[in-house]
Amino acid sequence: MGTVEHLGRGAGRISGDLGELAPSPRPRPRPGPTPPEKDRTRTIVRTVGEVLITLGMVVLLFVIYEVYITDLISAGKQREATAQLDDRWHEQDTAEAQRSDHFEGLGEGDGFAKMYIPAFGADYQFTIVEGTTAESLEVGPGHYTDTAYPGQPGNFSVAGHRVGKGAPFNDINLIQSCDAIVVETQHSWFVYRMVPLEEEKAGWAEGKGKDPRCKGVEPLGGPYEALVGQEIVLPTNGGVIAPVPHNPDVTLSSGEMASLMTLTTCHPRFSDKERLIVHAVLTDQWAKDPSKPDERPVELEETG
Amino acid sequence: MYGWIWRHLPGPVAVRVALAVVLALGVAALLLFVVFPWLEPLLPFNNVTAE
Repeated sequence: MGTVEHLGRGAGRISGDLGELAPSPRPRPRPGPTPPEKDRTRTIVRTVGEVLITLGMVVLLFVIYEVYITDLISAGKQREATAQLDDRWHEQDTAEAQRSDHFEGLGEGDGFAKMYIPAFGADYQFTIVEGTTAESLEVGPGHYTDTAYPGQPGNFSVAGHRVGKGAPFNDINLIQSCDAIVVETQHSWFVYRMVPLEEEKAGWAEGKGKDPRCKGVEPLGGPYEALVGQEIVLPTNGGVIAPVPHNPDVTLSSGEMASLMTLTTCHPRFSDKERLIVHAVLTDQWAKDPSKPDERPVELEETG
Repeated sequence: MYGWIWRHLPGPVAVRVALAVVLALGVAALLLFVVFPWLEPLLPFNNVTAE
């Protein structure tokens, strides 16, 4: 560093002894030294090109970040949340005599339940955390704080990422009516099943409704007239997570209210223009048997 | 730009290559772990909630 030929621009390229007339031992195809004016233009053009290439690389790197790196980061957070939830369940199991689920005092980002979608494979499992802030959703699917909890009458609503950040709801558009969404809490298992699609509603009882898996799933009437299995709405349409979806003003007593589950994610993929919504209805529930801690509901076998 | 950086890296070619790789990795890490996490919420890709 600091040698003379390193100080001038292009010194490495242009021979140091310009005045010498003797031909250089290795002849170069390039004509003599370029005039300074042309040299400067060349430098500017080259620099602009380099900057553009660099920006292109940065955008590519961002795609890699969005699709892969955030997955890695979220996988770690999801593992941690699941471990914490398992610890808490285990601790409270041994401490409490009374076996009932309660969800009071959950902090933002605390895990409180696990969800399984057997149709997506036996390994599809996510810990649901409280709250839908960006930080919570990096951990896993997040519960809208004002909506019902698992098993309660009302609409247990959960948001999840579709691209990156673990992408829990990546394939949520592929779920079919009557497919099970199983939710595990500390003391219970809840089985929700997707309600009929708009086009399946007519002739449900004679058609798909005959499938034994569809027991308990049917188009709901009355205030639930507008309820369909899947829909695409604008982000401003908060009615989808109302206790009675699309009827936020209807008040029903908890006895009249159906127990629903709603999943929300972005649509189309890589965009936040719209939201993809999946609605499901509670069809079954079991209390966990403390003497058989490893017992799992048969619905979890409905893979493939 | 890259030529300028290359000329200002000290040492023989092997050292310069090593330094260049370190620099590139450093910039990538800065982007991945500082710039992108900050930038991401400002971009319209990944909002999943309905208001």
